[in-house]
Amino acid sequence: MTPSETAEEQATEATRPKQTSVNLTLRAWLRVLCRESFGLVALLLLIVGILGPISTVFLWAFTERWRYPSLLPTEWGIKYWAQTLSRADIGSALPLSIMLSLVVTGLSALICLPAAYAFARMRFPGRQLLLLSFLVTNAFPRFGLYVSIAIVFFRLDLVGTVPGVILIQLINTLLLMIWIPTSAFQGVDRALEEAALDVGASRLRVFVQITLPMVLPALGAALLLTFVSTFYEAQGALLIGLPNVRTMPVLMYSLINNQVIVQYGAVISLVLWLPSFLLLAFVQRFLRGNAVTAGLGV
Amino acid sequence: MKKNFTRRGQNLSTLLGYLPGYLLVAPPVLLMLLLIFYPAAQSIVRTLFVANEGDGLRSFSLLRYTDFFNNRILLWNLWFTVWVTLLTVAGLFVLCMPLALYLRFSDSRIAAAVQVLSLFPLFVPGIILAFALIRFLGPHGTLDTLLQTIGFTSFRTPYLRPSGIIFALIWEGLPFTILVLTAGLRQVDNALIESARDVGAGDWQIFTRILLPLMQRSVLIAFCLNFIGVFGSYTIPYLLGPAAPQMMGVSMQQTYSEYQDKLGAETQAVITFLCCALIGVLYVRTVTRQRIGERN
Repeated sequence: MTPSETAEEQATEATRPKQTSVNLTLRAWLRVLCRESFGLVALLLLIVGILGPISTVFLWAFTERWRYPSLLPTEWGIKYWAQTLSRADIGSALPLSIMLSLVVTGLSALICLPAAYAFARMRFPGRQLLLLSFLVTNAFPRFGLYVSIAIVFFRLDLVGTVPGVILIQLINTLLLMIWIPTSAFQGVDRALEEAALDVGASRLRVFVQITLPMVLPALGAALLLTFVSTFYEAQGALLIGLPNVRTMPVLMYSLINNQVIVQYGAVISLVLWLPSFLLLAFVQRFLRGNAVTAGLGV
Repeated sequence: MKKNFTRRGQNLSTLLGYLPGYLLVAPPVLLMLLLIFYPAAQSIVRTLFVANEGDGLRSFSLLRYTDFFNNRILLWNLWFTVWVTLLTVAGLFVLCMPLALYLRFSDSRIAAAVQVLSLFPLFVPGIILAFALIRFLGPHGTLDTLLQTIGFTSFRTPYLRPSGIIFALIWEGLPFTILVLTAGLRQVDNALIESARDVGAGDWQIFTRILLPLMQRSVLIAFCLNFIGVFGSYTIPYLLGPAAPQMMGVSMQQTYSEYQDKLGAETQAVITFLCCALIGVLYVRTVTRQRIGERN
């Protein structure tokens, strides 16, 4: 910067009325405060509204006695953990829930992943239309659809059976298990694969060593999301599964409605939450990358 | 003759070339046809063609629907569902639009905390949420005692009231709506906003003239999916809502399981399909148009 320029700058600085610059900084500060005040108010409301209910469950799970006007439990303890976990209905529901979620996720992957590869890589008439048709799974009001399905299943004797529950839970997984992997396969750079083919790698080897590693994070996220959402699926299992098939979320309905001891529900909630926390840890980075919303067509 | 033959051969080979693709996509497509289209279509047909009393033959009749619309309780349930849905969706937009704008234009630590908290409900399944809210909002719940300790005694619990359903459904829909809206906002170029500001546009003008038109698709998708989601909800209204009026999900479940009236439940299901049909078409069209636009 030449001396004459700085001089000129100083001159303009000096000629500018001082009050304006003070005003400007003041306004800038107010603006920052204004913006942050919104953030602070939002944060406070979210802490009360979101963390409030959640922390209540945690408190109840470690409570022996909680008398009404007290803000915190009057007696703490873990007595109810042993009692809850030794309940016979939980002993049968938890393995069933885990088994169902694993089977549904596995079946969904088996059915959807090859299709996702085809949607991303192969050319055939109607490809786009078929891919978009999976959106329809989102365009029906869920419970109405379940009632329709329940009536078909009733005639097929699938109500109250494990295959019936598996089928109804599969529906919820289709869109996610097709759209997220399809966009992942589409994102793979074809040039890399062609280069590998050129130097003599077999198609299978290219797929295993080049394509698969690149889509693995997205596939993992899709599998995990499917597993967790199936694990928590309650409405379809309630309508189709009862009276013989009782998963953990379905068990929660009766515990909420007919159980005097609050701690049972609280402990089960925390146990049920475990897969969700795993998901939280895993997909946090993934969420920022917009992939979840991409799975919904945004 | 020979030319014709080779062309037919070519056609056949292109058709055979398509075959692997069709075979791979067939299983999920068939599953969708069998588990979604077939039951839905069958419900529609069955509620329109009612078996005659005498000979058991089916003929076209709107009897099921006139029964529904003559039943005051069911009609009340339907209105209630529409109102809860509209209020919930409106509440979601009123809450999420400012939050999404804030998250888009602020990168402070507070914004990061706000983002984490607002996405947290994504990891809370509906059934646990219902349990948590009963203990939090219910009579003698945590919020009640909290308000009592700071001297506020006139708390009326929203539990078993419509406001309880709306609160819970907004809680559930918060992360999804924020994700979709911020995704839409992120597509708007900063330079565009800067240049509008340079020519003197105020915040409100920037919002209504630039941001809103550019994020129209996100707004539409958030609206449609929230509307359909709330309309077809069951867990939250069943556990947190009043015994009467009921939302359609609860009403259907009761008709189906407790009254063992399968046709009645089916009629109600078809009516929820019809109520959401327009919104569903809007959703599919919004996503489709964007996809095809991208391809071209």
